[in-house]
Amino acid sequence: MSKIHAMMDTGRRSMMNSQTALQTVGHNIANKSTDGFSRQRVEMQTSEPIGTGKLRIGTGSKTAVVARINNPYLEKQIGAEQAKLGFYDGKGDALVRVEQVYNEQINRGLNSFMTDFFNSVREFSNNPESMATRTQVKEMGEFLTKDFKRVSQQLSEIQRDVDVQIGTHIHEINETTREIAKLNEKIQMIQVSGGPANDERDRRDLLIKQLGEKINIRWAEGEDGMVTISAGTSALLVTGYDVKTLEVKSTPARENKGEGHVDIFYRSSEHGDPFVITGQINGGRVGGLLEVRDQTINGLHDDIDEMAQRLADNFNEIHRQGFDAYNQKAGDFFEISEDAPHAAESLRLTDMISNDVGRIASGGQPFAPGDNRIALQLGQLQFDGVMEDGHSTLDAFYNSMVGQVGIHSKRVQGAQASQGDIVKQLGNIRESISGVSIDEETTKLIEYQKAFDASARLIRTADEMFDTVLSLKRM
Amino acid sequence: MRIADKMNFDQVKSNLSKNRSEMADLQNQAATQKRVTKPSDDPLAASRVLQTKTEVSSGQQFLKSVDQARTFLEYSEQSLGELSELLIRAKELALAQANDGSTNPTSRKASASEIEQLFSQAVQVGNRKLADRYLFGGFKTTRPPFDVNGKYFGDNGEMQISIQKEGSIAMNMPGNRIFLGQGVKAPATAGPDPAQSLDRPDEEEHIQIRGPASTDAIPLRAGENSEKETGLSETWANGGVNVFNVLRDLSTGLRANDKETVQESLDRLDEALAQVVLARSQLGSRVSTLNSAMESLTKSQVEAKALQSKLEDADTFELVTDLNKSESTLKATLASSGKIIQPSLLDFLR
Repeated sequence: MSKIHAMMDTGRRSMMNSQTALQTVGHNIANKSTDGFSRQRVEMQTSEPIGTGKLRIGTGSKTAVVARINNPYLEKQIGAEQAKLGFYDGKGDALVRVEQVYNEQINRGLNSFMTDFFNSVREFSNNPESMATRTQVKEMGEFLTKDFKRVSQQLSEIQRDVDVQIGTHIHEINETTREIAKLNEKIQMIQVSGGPANDERDRRDLLIKQLGEKINIRWAEGEDGMVTISAGTSALLVTGYDVKTLEVKSTPARENKGEGHVDIFYRSSEHGDPFVITGQINGGRVGGLLEVRDQTINGLHDDIDEMAQRLADNFNEIHRQGFDAYNQKAGDFFEISEDAPHAAESLRLTDMISNDVGRIASGGQPFAPGDNRIALQLGQLQFDGVMEDGHSTLDAFYNSMVGQVGIHSKRVQGAQASQGDIVKQLGNIRESISGVSIDEETTKLIEYQKAFDASARLIRTADEMFDTVLSLKRM
Repeated sequence: MRIADKMNFDQVKSNLSKNRSEMADLQNQAATQKRVTKPSDDPLAASRVLQTKTEVSSGQQFLKSVDQARTFLEYSEQSLGELSELLIRAKELALAQANDGSTNPTSRKASASEIEQLFSQAVQVGNRKLADRYLFGGFKTTRPPFDVNGKYFGDNGEMQISIQKEGSIAMNMPGNRIFLGQGVKAPATAGPDPAQSLDRPDEEEHIQIRGPASTDAIPLRAGENSEKETGLSETWANGGVNVFNVLRDLSTGLRANDKETVQESLDRLDEALAQVVLARSQLGSRVSTLNSAMESLTKSQVEAKALQSKLEDADTFELVTDLNKSESTLKATLASSGKIIQPSLLDFLR
């Protein structure tokens, strides 16, 4: 009799095991497309056999553990590569916009306005007596200054937009770290009660990867299963259940950073003063964005400002030597306000010139309306080496600037693409280990269903055997 | 290798998007007919395209300048042609009245009034205008350079016109040089002016003055014997001849029936004529400089445009081939994707 009982028991346990396995198959299938999910497997073990004399009779199986199939080292590597990709993405997205500022392949830009301006000066030197050519010089000069302004403003606009993006990222980082801390707590609790925290770990791995994509982090897992994460070199974001937040605030100019752009602050305690960690952030999207904002664009600002300044200085210097249509000594042609943050943005024609084109100088002596010597020199300025200690003309300087922006953007785009390939490759390897295969799960589905059916049959057989035994007396 | 479902789907997704973006890129090239649509497509080319654009556009301006300078010079030369005709006529009259044989005070008086006529014609030539600008006033282009007595009110400014990056040419010749013979020997300089240093036209004028070709040309055009050549050059070394004074002296001499003065003025007329012809030939040589400048400008325009096109324009044949290629790739990807995604074990159960 006891054997029949044992049979029933074995059948029951087997049916339960099959249900567990089927439940897991269902979980896998349902999470087939969940990001960061690792497939789970029910590990069965034979349960303790019963010893009767010499015989040891099996008692079926028991569910040992529901484990996830996952390679933690690979996950860490993916995290590192994704962080690099994030950096290039941040940089690349901003640079594509910077490039558009200098794109003269489709629209007109500084190069063409510059040539137009100098052409108008040359035409003026051909006809210094004519009011029409003077007006043309003024008009073209205004177009030129407007385009200097456009370049400068668009660069500043991208910088401001980068600030907004950084703000959004920092906000998301705070959300992410908060969730990681909660998961830390859960994982610790689950582990204390003995089981592996599969789904929580999957989720936490994913969040850490996402965090690393945004900002350079370092992290480690403790004995208790909780991770500690720090951003940059010193900002501890997550320690156990504890979360510290990052903030952004616009601050005055310093070093490379322009006036009013945001800094990233780390608040180490509720009441303490937050301190700046911007300098420590050199990775992830935020790192890439910071680099474009503070290095690349500020460099371009400096270049275009220098160009505007040199143009104005050299043009004015020649212009001041001349005499205007009223035989008076001429003044400045361009002006740049001293206190403006960017020379290129504040470059404009002097009021004197824009109010009266007669004040444009053409000649080197008064009472000589046909004298075009000054105008000739002004026109020649386009081909003079006024940039880089006389090594480069305005045109060449600007053209090489466009070339450099192009090269920079192209290089980052290339890095973006190849880094994307690396991440994709690693992702493929990860999926090949941890990903869900429908074929596999379907097979398991059938397998465990069959086991379930067979176990049920075992119980029925045992039941029939009971009946047989019970009906023995009546016979 | 174990293949998870997600791998298949991801692969299909990324392959399709790769094909699509390749197609979009090629399509964009086909639509714009440009290989380079932003600097990062080909940074070096983008930078050189800007350079060629500047070259094309400033070249167009230089061509305009050349045209203008040529009109000015040609008109000046034509006017000097009239002036030399007029001096030749004066010389004919002087020759006819230089001996006693066939002349008498009345005929000399008649000739004198014709010379006076020629004098005022010469003043008129000196006050020639192109549009609103006087040709021979130097920098003083807005007032007549000569009064009725041949007094000069201009200066010796030369309006340099830039006709290429590194060069300019004077489009006028101040009247004091042609009519008053001032500074004929010295190449034209209009005061201290850095813009005029190293100018090609100046060099040319050195050549014109010193070179044998032009001195040969003078007697031929003037219809004179070649004895005077060397003498003329020496005269110019001390400044040229005042055309108006020569004519005035001649008419005075004729009126006074003074044979010697008339004979003297024959030599001076020759000098005046040579001076004008020299000026004319200088202008002519500038025109030919302009012509060759224009030729090289036009040529470099064509070259710059060709370079620009080579740098940034799409090669249509290559483009179409590439388009076809990537289209068939896309089709293949779609077809194979359909095969990969569709079946799973589920499709074959029951």
